[in-house]
Amino acid sequence: MRGFLERLLRLDRRWIFLFVLLSVTVPIIVPLGLPVTTTESTRKAFQFIEAMKPGDTVLISFDYGPSSAPENDPMAEAVMRQCAIKKLRFIVIALYPLGALNLANNAVAKITSEYPGLKYGVDYVNLGYKDGASAVMRRMGDDIAGAFPTDQAGTPLAQIPLMKGIPSLRQVQLVFTVATGIIGEWWITQVHPQAGTPIIIGPTAVSAPKYYAFLNSGQLEGMLGGMKGAAEYEKLMRAAHPEMDRFYGSTRDFTATKGMDGQTVMHTVVLFFILLGNIAFVLSRRGATR
Amino acid sequence: MTFDFGQVALVLVFAIVPILGIILGLNSPGLRSRGPILIGIVAGILPILAIYIPKNFVSGNGGMSPRLDAWLIILAGFALLLGVVNVLQNNFRKVARRESGWFFSIVLLTGLFVTGGFGIYGAVSRTGIGFNPDGSSTPFKYMTDWFFQPLQSTIFALLAFFMASAAFRAFRARNVEATILLIAAGLVMIGRVPILEFLAVPFPFLHAAAASGSQALGRLTEWIMDVPNGAAQSGIIIGAALGAASMAIRVILGIERGYLGLGKGE
Repeated sequence: MRGFLERLLRLDRRWIFLFVLLSVTVPIIVPLGLPVTTTESTRKAFQFIEAMKPGDTVLISFDYGPSSAPENDPMAEAVMRQCAIKKLRFIVIALYPLGALNLANNAVAKITSEYPGLKYGVDYVNLGYKDGASAVMRRMGDDIAGAFPTDQAGTPLAQIPLMKGIPSLRQVQLVFTVATGIIGEWWITQVHPQAGTPIIIGPTAVSAPKYYAFLNSGQLEGMLGGMKGAAEYEKLMRAAHPEMDRFYGSTRDFTATKGMDGQTVMHTVVLFFILLGNIAFVLSRRGATR
Repeated sequence: MTFDFGQVALVLVFAIVPILGIILGLNSPGLRSRGPILIGIVAGILPILAIYIPKNFVSGNGGMSPRLDAWLIILAGFALLLGVVNVLQNNFRKVARRESGWFFSIVLLTGLFVTGGFGIYGAVSRTGIGFNPDGSSTPFKYMTDWFFQPLQSTIFALLAFFMASAAFRAFRARNVEATILLIAAGLVMIGRVPILEFLAVPFPFLHAAAASGSQALGRLTEWIMDVPNGAAQSGIIIGAALGAASMAIRVILGIERGYLGLGKGE
């Protein structure tokens, strides 16, 4: 028995790697369709945008890179789709240096191909990337053109119909930051107190715990925490807008709902190994005491 | 022509003073720190004054504080350039001296020059770094889509393997604190995903119980995240903010000088 426990405690990590690989890949290939329950922070975010009026403006800030794209991409896409359905205008910017601009461009290209009626410069605009995130936010609080004199194609903001009447973030009805790292927090601590613009955040799961403090203090209108938050949002979208089934009802494309299958199996595997390790640890310690 | 006090003051502090400081500092090491400290004081105090002084030359659209914000964006660009220079210096040195891993430095430098080259080409040719007018990808976007993004995703995905392995080896109930952490983490891990429903998949008679159990665990998880976690996070954030504020005051008053990188006697 003791030999077995010691072997278990010294389990070759390649076995764990194999289980992890299977637990992630199998549910992607064979979706399980597990249910998703919604949390209050996601419901609040969804209801805030649902309550906005047609013609209101949402600033969507891509503050993440490819490393967290599977978590963050579905959030950005869901909110952009909601903007398209609700006829909200959206301004896209990117503040994260490592690949956020490319992700923003890809998301804009994807959503505008799904909704060909969206007109550039009228319904949406892409201002591109700017370095120095916190300084850019502060500048945008007073003067958006001071931070982004032109859009990504080089057109001066003064010539873009959507930007008329929006000189600063004070005229934007919502900032949605899809974030990894500190940039999301800066929107809350720098822009919200100065410009008063409501903020909704879509952080990675690992940084989500921090934002509960801002939710409790009322500095955040809502939060989509990690892939779970994105999957919850997809569920709320499907419930409120049945036409969303064409995106979220299919198991062909990657969605957060589909990703949650993998995450569930992965959590089960990790918990199983933690349990196994602890049982072996307790039994071997008891054996050693005797 | 109108006299713009704010602009003149900024030019004086951020252009004339540094130049004077450099000239005077050449012969007097003791004076070298004076200029940067003065700049630090003005740069630190202006955004605070702008909140309390509703005067155009301080907080107006073209005032000193918004102008500083605009300069900060330009400075951030230069910081990026500084990073590139640093990467070049370190890696060229590594290759020249054939230090261990020098081959990886060549790969890094090649990536830097090719990607940077495509970026500069996009700027010069005015095609940008996104899509071409015909909808095809620019060379820079091609590099990002097919090299940078998959590599970044791969590196991050490796974390899952190491986290699982580390959880098995390190997440042990060695003492009371570790046990509390283990239980809280286990509950949150179970409550965030429908584990009970997943485990009940082969047993249809358990589906209803699994669903209600999962919802109860979800509510417990939300409470853990909302109340104990939220309270602890608030404490951490407030503590960090107070620390940052006290450090800012030390810099503004010229007490904290570590950022100047001065030698002895300066």
